[in-house]
Amino acid sequence: MSKDLLAEATRALRETEPVSEFEARATRTRVLTGLHQTRVRRRTRLAFLLPIAASFVAVSAWGAASGQARRVLDRLEQLVGITASTSSSARTSPARPAKSLAPALRSPEPALLAPSQQAESAPVTAITEAAPSSARASASSAPSHAEPPDPTLALYRSAHAAHFVAHDPARALAAWDAYLSAAPNGGFAPEARYNRALSLVRLGRTTEARAALEPFARGAYGGYRKAEASALLERLEP
Amino acid sequence: MTDFGLSMVTEQALASDAELADELVLRLQRAEPSAVAEVYDDHHAAVRAFAKRLLGDAASAEDLVHEVFVSLPRAVRKFRGDSSLRTFLISIAVNHARHHVRAAQRRRRALSAYGDTRNDESSDPEREARRKELAQLLTRALDTLPIDQRVAFVLCEVEEYSSREASEIVGAPEATLRTRLFHAKKKLRLALSTEGAE
Repeated sequence: MSKDLLAEATRALRETEPVSEFEARATRTRVLTGLHQTRVRRRTRLAFLLPIAASFVAVSAWGAASGQARRVLDRLEQLVGITASTSSSARTSPARPAKSLAPALRSPEPALLAPSQQAESAPVTAITEAAPSSARASASSAPSHAEPPDPTLALYRSAHAAHFVAHDPARALAAWDAYLSAAPNGGFAPEARYNRALSLVRLGRTTEARAALEPFARGAYGGYRKAEASALLERLEP
Repeated sequence: MTDFGLSMVTEQALASDAELADELVLRLQRAEPSAVAEVYDDHHAAVRAFAKRLLGDAASAEDLVHEVFVSLPRAVRKFRGDSSLRTFLISIAVNHARHHVRAAQRRRRALSAYGDTRNDESSDPEREARRKELAQLLTRALDTLPIDQRVAFVLCEVEEYSSREASEIVGAPEATLRTRLFHAKKKLRLALSTEGAE
């Protein structure tokens, strides 16, 4: 009985009277109005968003091209708590020694090496090849951020300035000694030892200079400054 | 015309129909109002009939029809042409039906509280009254079902879709749909016998 009732009720539900034409038309109008409003909203949104996006792209491109973006980033880093000095030094410290040392190292020591211009040309290339590589080594070994700068590097710079910029052999000798005592096996130790020997030559301390140059001439540092050291030793012979 | 000629004409007609359908879908994806209006004119009656049978309430059915056609330009991006556009519209209606079912139930409860049975004039008043009474009885019984079973019953029994079509509409396997239908019928029989006895 209940099965028949369900079938009868299902049929009754199926035979529900059609909706009036007026209601169907009203809903059609609602649908089309809703679609129109959606399109208008989308166009309005685009009209606002496109100029904003275009301005953002243009400003970003200008900032990247003019370098202003880096300054803005630095300021942002300051704002979020990363100190500018740490971040900028961490960013620039690996590159700075290579930049500042390389040109100075390229400049020969005319007073010292004047007698042997032939011997001078080789060291120039040797140094210019060796110094950046060691600078690179120190740069790659240095952590990228928030690492305190290497104190021995400051000693090296000081010695370098006294030797190549101030041309003060006495001060340079003391500075090279200071660097070598701080970093006897440092990245720049071979260069420092060779330059120390040159300072001794300049000061006329021939015996000590010979003792300092001998390891280079003997090949204790491979090919580094071997020829130049041998040439100097020949000239220093009594 | 020979059989061969007839089949050629039929194939050409089918190909042009398919092209038109593809073009219509593209226009729908671009949310062209004329395309939506075209689809509405062709299919609103079927969608409305289903909505009214599912919800048992004319006002809620109108809201559901509105929602189906407004959401059509976005929903049609998923349309792959595996089923007819009408089937696809019914599936949109099923997906949007949940909260309309609840709204229709609330409205029904409110109307019954005020004793509004909304009987219309009819050529055979007695028969029409009986039909309306049964339809209302079934609609109230449908309110007791979970939405999945309700949809399965309306699609398969009232709308008389095949179980394959119905499974496409609801996006569930045929076996699942048949199970839902079985449980729906069982509960409805019980509900109708209880109500009929009162």
